[in-house]
Amino acid sequence: MSERLDGRLARLLAALMAFALLGAACGGSDDGDAAPADEETAAEESEGDAAEEEVAEAGDEAEGDVDTEIEEETGDRVSGGELAVGLEAELPGMRPWEDTCASACYNIFITIYDKLMESTETGQYEPWLLESIEPNEDFTQWVGTLRSGITFHNGVELTAQSLVDMFAIQQTGSQSQSQIAASNLATVDATGDLEVTYGLSQPNSAFPAYLSRAQLGMVFEPGAAADPDAFNAAPVGTGPFAFESRDLDNETIVVRNADYWGTDANGTQLPYLDKISFRPIPDEGTRLDATLSGTTQVAHTLRQNTIRDARTERDGGAEITLFEFQGSNVGGGMFNVLVPPFDDVRVRKALVHLTPQDQVIEALGGTGISLPGSQWFSPDSPWYSEAAAAAWPQFDFEAGKALLEEYVNDPERSDGKAVGEKIEYELSCPPDPTLIAAMQVGFEVATSTELVDINLTNYDQQTHINYALGAENGFVGSHGAHCWRFSDDNDPSVTINPAFAPPTAEIAEAAGIPDVVSPLNFANYFDGDVFQAAVGATRTDNFEERKALYEAINLKLAEDVPLWYSGYTATALITDASVQGLVSWELPSGTLGQGMPNAEGRWHQVWIG
Amino acid sequence: MSDPTLISPLADVGVPTAAAALDAAPSRSRFAWFTDMPRLVKVSAVWLMLVVFGAIYAKLDESVFGGALPLQDPNLQTNNFDVNTGEFGTGEPLEGISFNHWLGTDAIARDTFSRLVHGAWVSLIVAGVSAAFGVIIGGFIGSLVGYIRGRLETVAMAVIDVILAFPALVLLLALVSVFEVRSLGLISFVIGVLSIPAYTRVARANSLAISNREFVLAAQAIGTRRRQILFREIIPNVLPTLLAYAMVAAAFVVVVEGSLSFLGLSVQLPQSTWGNMINQARRDIKANIAQVLWPSLALTLTVLALNQVGDYFQRRSAVRQSSL
Repeated sequence: MSERLDGRLARLLAALMAFALLGAACGGSDDGDAAPADEETAAEESEGDAAEEEVAEAGDEAEGDVDTEIEEETGDRVSGGELAVGLEAELPGMRPWEDTCASACYNIFITIYDKLMESTETGQYEPWLLESIEPNEDFTQWVGTLRSGITFHNGVELTAQSLVDMFAIQQTGSQSQSQIAASNLATVDATGDLEVTYGLSQPNSAFPAYLSRAQLGMVFEPGAAADPDAFNAAPVGTGPFAFESRDLDNETIVVRNADYWGTDANGTQLPYLDKISFRPIPDEGTRLDATLSGTTQVAHTLRQNTIRDARTERDGGAEITLFEFQGSNVGGGMFNVLVPPFDDVRVRKALVHLTPQDQVIEALGGTGISLPGSQWFSPDSPWYSEAAAAAWPQFDFEAGKALLEEYVNDPERSDGKAVGEKIEYELSCPPDPTLIAAMQVGFEVATSTELVDINLTNYDQQTHINYALGAENGFVGSHGAHCWRFSDDNDPSVTINPAFAPPTAEIAEAAGIPDVVSPLNFANYFDGDVFQAAVGATRTDNFEERKALYEAINLKLAEDVPLWYSGYTATALITDASVQGLVSWELPSGTLGQGMPNAEGRWHQVWIG
Repeated sequence: MSDPTLISPLADVGVPTAAAALDAAPSRSRFAWFTDMPRLVKVSAVWLMLVVFGAIYAKLDESVFGGALPLQDPNLQTNNFDVNTGEFGTGEPLEGISFNHWLGTDAIARDTFSRLVHGAWVSLIVAGVSAAFGVIIGGFIGSLVGYIRGRLETVAMAVIDVILAFPALVLLLALVSVFEVRSLGLISFVIGVLSIPAYTRVARANSLAISNREFVLAAQAIGTRRRQILFREIIPNVLPTLLAYAMVAAAFVVVVEGSLSFLGLSVQLPQSTWGNMINQARRDIKANIAQVLWPSLALTLTVLALNQVGDYFQRRSAVRQSSL
């Protein structure tokens, strides 16, 4: 990672970032591509033809995974109506700069706040609230121009100064601080009424990606935010819906913003819906049942087994549509490569050879839904590398056992045990039934070699994160093998750079980059070539160049295996058959958007058909 | 209890004791203790015996016979790689009831019946150890302070009150989460130690009442030593109540262990417990509700049975005490 992190502040920021990643790391937040629903399909669904509803996914189910194609929807769009959306969790708060925002939160935030940039179906970034943005030659300065005539819900006009004032608040926000550090953002200046200049401390060609997420990209009214508590109770943005009320743990209601700036391709005022009620329903089964019974019209899920259950209901005649999305977020785990025996690549590679991915995915409830992971990008990602996929070690019991035997019989074995003595390590996952099932699959095969003893542990999610963070011993941690999640559908630099920068001051010093330390490198894996490739990818905006660099990183990961993968995580918005427009939303330029990655709907272009 | 001298030294001077009176009753079947039970209590006792038998059978199969007895390996994933054949098994996860899998299979294709029977061992041990700790240590402390009284009683009961002031489950969670490796012995020990205060209170209350009974006063009057009175008069008469309470308390402990397992804080995986079976199966409740149902049913029936049998013995104990 290219940002300069030094001393306690850097560690604090990193720790904060770690907590921000908490939801994504272990909480089942997933990304993916979008599921299509073309005009014909929509019409068929509205007729309630359950047999035809399968087409709505437009996925190649023969291969068993979710469909991620995005197609334009050209049916008649209808203004008006209300939706009730069941979400997996309540929001911690309504402030983008301060409150952790995972998938459930994005569904609400996106109705209230517009983002400066937005991702397209090809994973690129285009202006949303900005009209344009251009970098200088070395990507250390980005000049953006806001759309004119936009007002916040409280009537205040949006100007470049609003973004400058926002930055002052973001610099103090627990969520925004870490993103400011990660993006290299140093200054925000109003260089015109609507022109804003972002100054970076280091080049970052992926900076627009940061303007597409809540922490730096969602625009809030800085005047109202001066009183954070009042703002939390009545948030103000420029989004397609205005906040109406919030009954904690029960319901958050947003209503149509009649003055919204956006229109559809036909010039119709957006949003289409009059009102959306978001209801936190933590239990997966109850959330799905609520939609099946008509209590809600949409169920949000990040769980494969819920998708499986919803598919079963649909196939049984339930009039629902599954807007599925399989992104780059991949489950699996990491080895702490600074701790024996995982400091030896033979052990790491052996255990990857001994992990039956298909069985693990089955245990996760993802058979026919999730594809086996081999790198940080799903096969649907433009960054996906066939070479890296081919290089990833496959299940091979004999090869795995041979590597373990080699290590166990090595007089110089790193764990200090006697020759022939079993390897011992801890495999830890949060106490989620899905992960508990999956961890026992690998356990069964590895222990059948009779060369390893594994201590299976389950810590609550917060403890799990802290354990991996290992702040108490210079961010090395004492963990062995840890369940974890990697990657998302943002620009690759957002997750790759912090994950492979020097994990400790000593390693950074040895690598000649003493100011670059990332406690977010949970596996403590550092390789100079990987690091340089990651940094290099933020110095160019040439897609092919960047893709080649990320391919090199994934090839090296396949060789050194500091991580293991289970499957890419499918997510879905399960809707009543009348809900339309989730996959076909467009950017102001007319480009198709990214669909609903990570089960994050864009509700401004949703209508009830 | 068949020796009347254990009930009262008054027997030595020719005064008939309650136990002697009971023994003097017309001779009855040696199974009268069972046949006299109400029908519901009988059914409960049979269920408990089945659970105990299953638990012991499973343990013997695992520890003594090396899996040779007719019970499937509770941890065998029938769809996973089989090192003996070098191939993946053909078992199915979340299978329904079949000849091969009497109660179906779980999410990773393990035999649910086998896991249920092995899970009974955990419940049995935890309940047994907890009862043993409670009856032996709690019973002794309670009987002692209830009889001796004075400063010792004040201090002991103050300590007990402090421990009881903490919500038991919260205290247990805090203690258990300290340990990284959680063996059955450790879990049983921790629950056992935390059981002591409740037993102490029950024992003390009974001890206080018994200390003022005529046969104790008589024993004191004839100069019997306090230690003898404690062990010959107080404790033997506290014991029936305590054992009856132990049955009811065991039901609570089984639920507590189930809760710990459900939260992933009981014994190490992959060892099965009813609680962790429920936890692991709840994800697939829509796909196969039976996998949640079986361990829940076992837990519920065992708790109900313990309560029924415990209540029955408490009633008998109360009758016996009133006759003293």
